[in-house]
Amino acid sequence: MAVKGGSGFRSALTEVGETAQFTARFFRNAFHPRFEWRELIRQCTVNGALTFPLVGITAFIMGLVLTVQSRPTLARFGAESMLPAMVAISMVREIAPVITALICAGKIGSSMGAELGSMRVTEQIDAMEVSGTNPFRYLAVTRIWSTILMLPVLVVLADGISIWASWIGVNLRDTVSWELFYRQVFDSLEYSDLIPAFIKSFFFGLAIGVVGCYKGFTTKKGTEGVGRSAHSAVVTASLLIFILDLLVVQITDLLGFT
Amino acid sequence: MADPYPPGQPNAAAERVIRIQDLHLSFGSNHVIRGFSLDLHRGENVMVLGRSGSGKSVLIKCIVRLLRPDSGRIEVLGQDMLALDQDALDHLRVKIGFLFQSSALYDSMTVQENLEFPLRRHWIATTPGEADALVGEVLAAVGLSETRNLYPSELSGGMKRRIGLARTLILKPEIVLYDEPTTGLDPITGKEIVELILDLQRRYNTSSIIISHDLHVAKLAANRIAVLHGGRNYLEGTYEELRRSEDELMKRFFVFM
Repeated sequence: MAVKGGSGFRSALTEVGETAQFTARFFRNAFHPRFEWRELIRQCTVNGALTFPLVGITAFIMGLVLTVQSRPTLARFGAESMLPAMVAISMVREIAPVITALICAGKIGSSMGAELGSMRVTEQIDAMEVSGTNPFRYLAVTRIWSTILMLPVLVVLADGISIWASWIGVNLRDTVSWELFYRQVFDSLEYSDLIPAFIKSFFFGLAIGVVGCYKGFTTKKGTEGVGRSAHSAVVTASLLIFILDLLVVQITDLLGFT
Repeated sequence: MADPYPPGQPNAAAERVIRIQDLHLSFGSNHVIRGFSLDLHRGENVMVLGRSGSGKSVLIKCIVRLLRPDSGRIEVLGQDMLALDQDALDHLRVKIGFLFQSSALYDSMTVQENLEFPLRRHWIATTPGEADALVGEVLAAVGLSETRNLYPSELSGGMKRRIGLARTLILKPEIVLYDEPTTGLDPITGKEIVELILDLQRRYNTSSIIISHDLHVAKLAANRIAVLHGGRNYLEGTYEELRRSEDELMKRFFVFM
């Protein structure tokens, strides 16, 4: 058992090291003069536009549910007027970035792990390589850039949709105009709420892209390996999102973004 | 058009396009390639014959640097493959075609897109019309002009192998490496593929290394055969020379021929 545990720990450390090397390789190739613009646009469309409905529905439900569930507690303290501010700050600072990133880890991370894994085991990546196309630049760099660029966009859209859903939630019981609600939301929000959330969404995108591509590129053992890559891309990226969230909160706290 | 270089007549005087010297490669404790050496000359078809698991595919992947050997030297068209940087390697790889055993067609693309992909990547065809004409030419060469809009999943094994061959040839490589080109095909389709390889070799004037354990391929296509055994070039000769050899391993190979 001790030996088995030891080898598991060693392989986990090896994987951390390999992922770090993969990330370094991404940064070495990220600004290569022969950049794959066409593939980047395709990936942004796939990862951004096609994930948007799922992110939008989830953000709508989160905004609505948070409003409906928070209202009784705030009403008990006579602080119902604080509802727009509370929902906006919660969604913008924490809930929207983390939920959006988790959805993208599930949808984009798993699809990257499965697609690239399948290409690896059927020798399509090797075929690309021997035809003189660098598969890392063509497949991995474009996919990682697309998640880095799309995550912040999706987070901003999720913020907007959740706030709109919150206004609907408020109007289920009361009648509040959108203008008043909107003003209350933006009076309560500061740049110190928006900037850390925006910055961390870039890191979430990097984590999802790197993990998805790394798992896909290193797939072994046929179709079973493809399934394992897709599954472990989701698990690892989700875990990384929480770790990064914790780190960013600590750092922004130290920098005074509170 | 006359055979520039018919099977069974090795042409050692022609320009050398590949030179492999003292190649070694291990996977952990498994020493797969143990000092393999081989030369390929222009216009020549050399077959690397070996039993399953003898390291034939490993060897061919070393030639295009999909695998990096532990030691040894591989020269392709006068360039040291193991010393090239990534951009120079990608540039040289355009001159080397590789037909995978699995065909390795991009399964999310149609046949047309599979064939256009390398053209677009290397700016060989700059307009859709040019790309279309080149795709049409190679599809006609492999006899599958009607498959343009089909996906790889809609093709039979033999058709996939032909499209793989078309994708390999569309860049007009000087050297083609074939990894088990007839494995998994029925004898009639296998023979058609070999005839196609020979026909395309004449038409595009390529030099080839064919990896196989199939002696029918050796008989039909190889000018020279190198036997990979024990990780090294165990024996080399024409089909007839090996068939008449008194070597025990060769006798076992030719037992059904």
